[in-house]
Amino acid sequence: MSPEAGSTTVLLVGALLIRLVLTGDYLRYVRGGMGPWLVAAGALLVVLGVTGLVAAVRRRADVPVAVAGAGPGDPDGHDGDGDGDGDGHGHGSQWVGWLLLAPVLALLLVTPPALGSFGVDRTAPGVRISSGGALFRPLAAGAEPVPLTLLEFGERAGDRSGASFGPARVRLTGFVAVPADGEGVRLARYQIACCAADAVATVVRVVGLPGATPARDTWLTVVGTYRGTGPDGVPELTVVDAERIPPPVDPYET
Amino acid sequence: MRPQPPATTPAVVTSSPSDGSGGPGESAGPAGSAGQWGLAVAVGLLLAAVGLRPVLAEQFARPAVANWATIFVAIVVQAMPFLALGVVVSGAIAAFVPPSLVGRLMPRRAVVAVPAAALAGAALPGCECGSIPVARRLMSRGVAPSAALTFLLAAPAINPVVLVSTAVAFPGQPVMVLARFLAGSGTAVLVGLLWAGLGDDRLLARAMRAEPESGSSRLAVFAATARGDLLSAGGFLVIGAAAAATLQTAVPRDAVDAFASSPVLAVLALAALAVLLSICSEADAFVAAGLRQFSLTARLVFLVVGPMVDLKLVALHAGTFGRRFALRFAPLTLVCAIAVGSLVGWWLL
Repeated sequence: MSPEAGSTTVLLVGALLIRLVLTGDYLRYVRGGMGPWLVAAGALLVVLGVTGLVAAVRRRADVPVAVAGAGPGDPDGHDGDGDGDGDGHGHGSQWVGWLLLAPVLALLLVTPPALGSFGVDRTAPGVRISSGGALFRPLAAGAEPVPLTLLEFGERAGDRSGASFGPARVRLTGFVAVPADGEGVRLARYQIACCAADAVATVVRVVGLPGATPARDTWLTVVGTYRGTGPDGVPELTVVDAERIPPPVDPYET
Repeated sequence: MRPQPPATTPAVVTSSPSDGSGGPGESAGPAGSAGQWGLAVAVGLLLAAVGLRPVLAEQFARPAVANWATIFVAIVVQAMPFLALGVVVSGAIAAFVPPSLVGRLMPRRAVVAVPAAALAGAALPGCECGSIPVARRLMSRGVAPSAALTFLLAAPAINPVVLVSTAVAFPGQPVMVLARFLAGSGTAVLVGLLWAGLGDDRLLARAMRAEPESGSSRLAVFAATARGDLLSAGGFLVIGAAAAATLQTAVPRDAVDAFASSPVLAVLALAALAVLLSICSEADAFVAAGLRQFSLTARLVFLVVGPMVDLKLVALHAGTFGRRFALRFAPLTLVCAIAVGSLVGWWLL
């Protein structure tokens, strides 16, 4: 990779990291807490890229005389590698820098979506929820439904057979993973610890959804009461009210 | 040869506006032969990608492809801050640490240097991608390869951030943190000592070669080193991320569940899973916590193997230190990690 191409690649990656945070799209890939770090890393890469380009252009402006004195081709090779990359390995291991353009292109052209229903069946361990020994306090059965994450809903269901729910109404938000799941619809949402590669899905079966069955990957907010746990171990909710919503800014539970 | 640069200059200039990113492309003048080709390739790639956009969008509408792309991009994006930290440290070593200082500070004998390197690794708060350029820079500054390799393994396995995330992921089980620390540092030291005794440092000749004094300012050396390391480590990270995304998309995670009931198979299955998933060492504890059907020992092995040997790391090692080195180092580390992890698990868990 020539110094120009290398610096441009570094600059592009840095600019893209900052853009990801500014548009909020980074939440499809990593936890919200990573935002400042991505900006800092992006700013560093932009500085590295710009200084590299400036240095390369300056060198180019100085070089022509020297080039004319030396043999053809050779000085460029030296110049391009030794100084510009500064780390002494040859072209053989630098070609790989080009690959950094792959995620850049993917992000510029399509911006891959947040994980959806495809992977839900593939992260089976997440379905197995136990409360981890924690005993939940009973939910307040007020007029307003209690917002819960799917994870907490599942944990409460695993804690003393869901005794902590009482008669309280809860509000859950997730996407449709399986439109026809026994009596209802399987709602899912991922938890991520660091990035989408470690995502694990939690699922809840929603029974009694009014209206037509929503399509896969439709986001829903549902209000209802705990119904029990199905024979397949999936906790269930009896729906009182449901609403289609646009995908939330942060598609994951953290 | 002489007329060539002027002849190609117009081509470079005219192609700049069409690449959509204007500024950076324009500043590349008549580059050397490699530079010209590089820019042409980049511009061609961009044009082709823009032209193929509808086709790409159609492909990405397929759930499996979208799932692959999301995981691929997520691994790269997530690793970038850590990689940036790593290349900053690496660049700072190259620019501001004279080789003579390293020679005076580092103990000569491997028996002393290797444990010292493991302790030094515990202090760098990063994940595995960042420690590779640092280890390579240490080698080129005259640190014994065995000690640098121990640092390479210890830094992502037992640094404070990783230990805290392990404590958070395993609430009420502080012994898991202790076990991870002991097994991680034990494996790093064992591999370092084995390499000191049996390893062939000639395989690392490329990384050990001291850089020539370039005569540029320290800041310029810092920037050039950081940039070069970022490009090479970042490129191999892309290869590893693609491999990990492919496996995560193609192989359902519950495929390993069948092995959970046998103690020995469980350990081997989770070791294999750690290699294939290539999860960042700061997140793997949360995944391990979710693998409840497996024994604690098997999950400890998952945590010990993951930061030391996985698909993206093997790609990074091969790229940074050489393929022949990686082919020996990865199996050695894998066997040591499984053995030490099982031993510590049997003792503590």
